[in-house]
Amino acid sequence: MLSVVLAALALTMFAGASFGMVGAPTVRKAAQVTYKMAVITDVGGLNDHGFNQAANAGRLQVEKKLGFQTRVYDTRTSAERLPNLQAAAQAGYQLVFGTGFFMGDPLDKVAPKFPDVKFAGIDVNYNTDLPSKPANVRGIQFKEQEAGYLVGYMAGLVLKQQPGPDIASAIGANTVPAIVRYFGGYRAGVKKADPKATVILSYANDPTFSDQAKCKEVALNQISQKTQIIFAVAGGCGLGALDQAKAQGLWGIGVDSDQLYLGPEMLTSALKDVAKAVYLTSQEFKKSPANFKTGFNKVFNVKNGGIGYGKVSAKLKNRAAIIKKVNAIKKLIAAGKIVPPAK
Amino acid sequence: MYQRAGGIVTPLITALFAFVVGGLVVVATTGKNPLSTYRAIFDGTGLNWLFPWVSGVARHDAALNLQQTLLVMAPLMLTGLAVAFAFRCGLFNIGGQGQYTVGTVVAVQTGIWFASMPKPAHILIAIVLATLAGAVWAGIAGVLRATVGAHEVITTIMLNWIALWVASYLVGFGGPLQDKRFGAVNPNTPDIVASAKLPVFWGDPQLQGLHIGFFIALAALVVFWIVLSRTTLGYEVRAVGFNAEAARYSGINVPRSYFLAMAISGAFAGLAGAIDLLGWEFHLDLTVVQSSQIGFFGIAVALLGRNSAVGVFFASLVFAALLNGTSARALDPSIFDPQLAGNLTRIIQGLVVLFVGADLLVVYLWQARRKLGLVGRDGLEPGKEPAAS
Repeated sequence: MLSVVLAALALTMFAGASFGMVGAPTVRKAAQVTYKMAVITDVGGLNDHGFNQAANAGRLQVEKKLGFQTRVYDTRTSAERLPNLQAAAQAGYQLVFGTGFFMGDPLDKVAPKFPDVKFAGIDVNYNTDLPSKPANVRGIQFKEQEAGYLVGYMAGLVLKQQPGPDIASAIGANTVPAIVRYFGGYRAGVKKADPKATVILSYANDPTFSDQAKCKEVALNQISQKTQIIFAVAGGCGLGALDQAKAQGLWGIGVDSDQLYLGPEMLTSALKDVAKAVYLTSQEFKKSPANFKTGFNKVFNVKNGGIGYGKVSAKLKNRAAIIKKVNAIKKLIAAGKIVPPAK
Repeated sequence: MYQRAGGIVTPLITALFAFVVGGLVVVATTGKNPLSTYRAIFDGTGLNWLFPWVSGVARHDAALNLQQTLLVMAPLMLTGLAVAFAFRCGLFNIGGQGQYTVGTVVAVQTGIWFASMPKPAHILIAIVLATLAGAVWAGIAGVLRATVGAHEVITTIMLNWIALWVASYLVGFGGPLQDKRFGAVNPNTPDIVASAKLPVFWGDPQLQGLHIGFFIALAALVVFWIVLSRTTLGYEVRAVGFNAEAARYSGINVPRSYFLAMAISGAFAGLAGAIDLLGWEFHLDLTVVQSSQIGFFGIAVALLGRNSAVGVFFASLVFAALLNGTSARALDPSIFDPQLAGNLTRIIQGLVVLFVGADLLVVYLWQARRKLGLVGRDGLEPGKEPAAS
C-alpha cells in the first residue's frame, strides 16, 4: 500500500513536472538593460508594512521607470545578511542597497572586498556604523524632524480650530535616534502653530516595535491627560495607540509610510519615504555611475523629497486651508528658513 | 531486523513524504517543475561541491554555499542534541532557544572581557562559561521537575521568554550591554575582541567563513553517544526514559537523572550559542535575540534524527541544507518568488514534524504491506514500535 501511495505521489509530481515544462519561463529581459541594482532587505520580510516593503517598492519603481535590472534578496535570518550582500555584489549588481541599520556591520565587511560595486545603507550612518570606513559605501539618513515638524504644525492648527483643550501628544517605541528626531520636530511644529498648546511626549519602551499592547497603554495614559491628537512613532506598536485614539474619537497621526488606510480618523502621516530614497539614489547612479559619490551620509529631507507628510483626512474641517498653510511651512523648511530641532 | 529497518526507514520515508508534498506545493503555487526547483535548492546548499565534475566558477560558488550550510548546521546539530538528550530521559526540552540565547549572551560578554588573554584560553573560557550558562538555564527546569514535579514543557517555554526578554533588555536601547562607543546608538553589543573569535578553516574569515565550531559540534555528537551508551549516567538516563517507575524500583535516582539530563541538554544548547557568537556573529543584536529560531529547529532535528547521534547529524544536515538552499540568493526570483522560497522551508519543516508525529501511521503502513501480501511474514513482530536507537 505504501508503495502504491508513493508511486501515486511520484506520478503526480512528474505530471506536474511536465506541466511545468509547458509553461517554461521565458527569460524576461528589458530592451536595453544597462544597469543592475539589488536590494537586500533585513529580517522581517517583504510584507512588513515598513522598511523592507518600502525599499522593495522603491526597487520596483527603479525597474519600471529607470529601466534597471533589479533583484531583491529577502533576508530571513541574521546569518543570511552577509552572504546575501556578498551574493549580490558577486552577481554583478553595480548598486547594492542594504536596508536597516543592522546592515551596517555586514556592509563594513563586504564592501571592501568589492571595490567596483557601490553600496548604499538605508538608515546606516556612515560615521558611526561603519568602523572600517569603506570608501564605496554611502550612508542614507533622513531628517525625520522635518516630517515631525510638518505633522506637528498641522496638529497645532487643528487644535486651534477645534474646541477642547490644546493638548497634543506623541508615542515613541523607544529612544532610537529617528524617534527622538521625530519628537523634536513634532513639539516645535505644534508650538509654532499654537503657542499655547501642551505637547506630551512618551516612550512605550518597546524594543521590538511590534508590541501593540504597550503603545495602547501609553495612549490610554495620554488620553487621561486630555490629549486630542496622538502621533504614533512606533511602527507596529503604534497601531495599538492609533486604534485607541480611533476608539475615543481622537485624531491619530501615522508614521514612516502613508497610514491613512487605517481610517478617516487618521489626520495624516509623517512620511519618511524609503522608496523614494531608493529611487532617487538609483537615479543619481544612472546619471553617472563613475561620479556616484560614496563615503559619506546622503541626507534625505523635505527639500529633496525624501521627507514629507501624507494624505490628509477627508473628515478634517477647513481641510484645504490647513493643507495650504502646511505647504507654506514645507516651502520654508525646504528653503532653510525654518530649521526644525533634532531633539 | 524489523526494528533496525524501522529505525532508519521511518525517518527516510518521513523526509521523502515531506519533500514530495513540498513538491506538490511548488507545483500548486508556481506551476513550475518541482524537480528543477529542488535542483536549484540543492545547488544553493553547496552540496554539489562534493561532486568532482563541478569546476570553475560553479565550484567556487558551491564552496561558498557549502560553508554557509555547514555554518548553520553546526548549531543545529547542537540544539538537536539538546532536545534529543532530554528525550532519551523522557523529557521534552522545548527550551533550547532560551538556553541558546543565554549561551550567546554569556559568550558575547566573555568575548568582550578578558581582552588581554591568549587566544586559546580566551576561546576556551568563553565556550565553557556559555555552555555552563546553558546548563544552568535548563537545570532550573530540571530542578523544578525533579523536586516539585513541575512539567518541563511548561517551565522551559517560560524560561524561553525570560531569556528572550532579559537578553532584549541587555542588548537593547539603553541596556547595559549596548554598544555606546563612537556615538553608536543601535541596539547591539560591541564586537568581541579578536582573541575570542574562533579560527576559520575554510573560506574568508572576513566574510563569514566556516569556523572550527563545526568540529566542536561534531565532537559533541561523539560525547552525546559516549555519555548515553557507555556510561552509568547514560544508562540511568535511558532507563528513566523507558520507564521512570521501573527505574526507580531498580534503585536509580530518578530526580537526579531528570536534573542531569536537563542540565546536559542545556549545555549542548548553550554551546550552540557560544559557537555561533564566537564563530561568525561576533556581536549580539536585538533582531538576533528576537528572531532566532535555531533552538526550535533543534526540536525538528531531534525528531527527524530519532534522538540518536547519527540521526541528529543527518537531520541537521537536511535542515541546514533546506534553510540555506531556499535562501533568496539560491533561487532565481523570476522563477521562484523569494517570499515563497522562504516559506517552502517552513512547509517542509512542518511536514517533517507532522509526519514524525504520525510515525505510528508510517509503522502501520509498513505493516500493512504484509496484509497486502507484498512481503512474507518472516521477521515481523506485529504491534511492536521501532525503538529509538
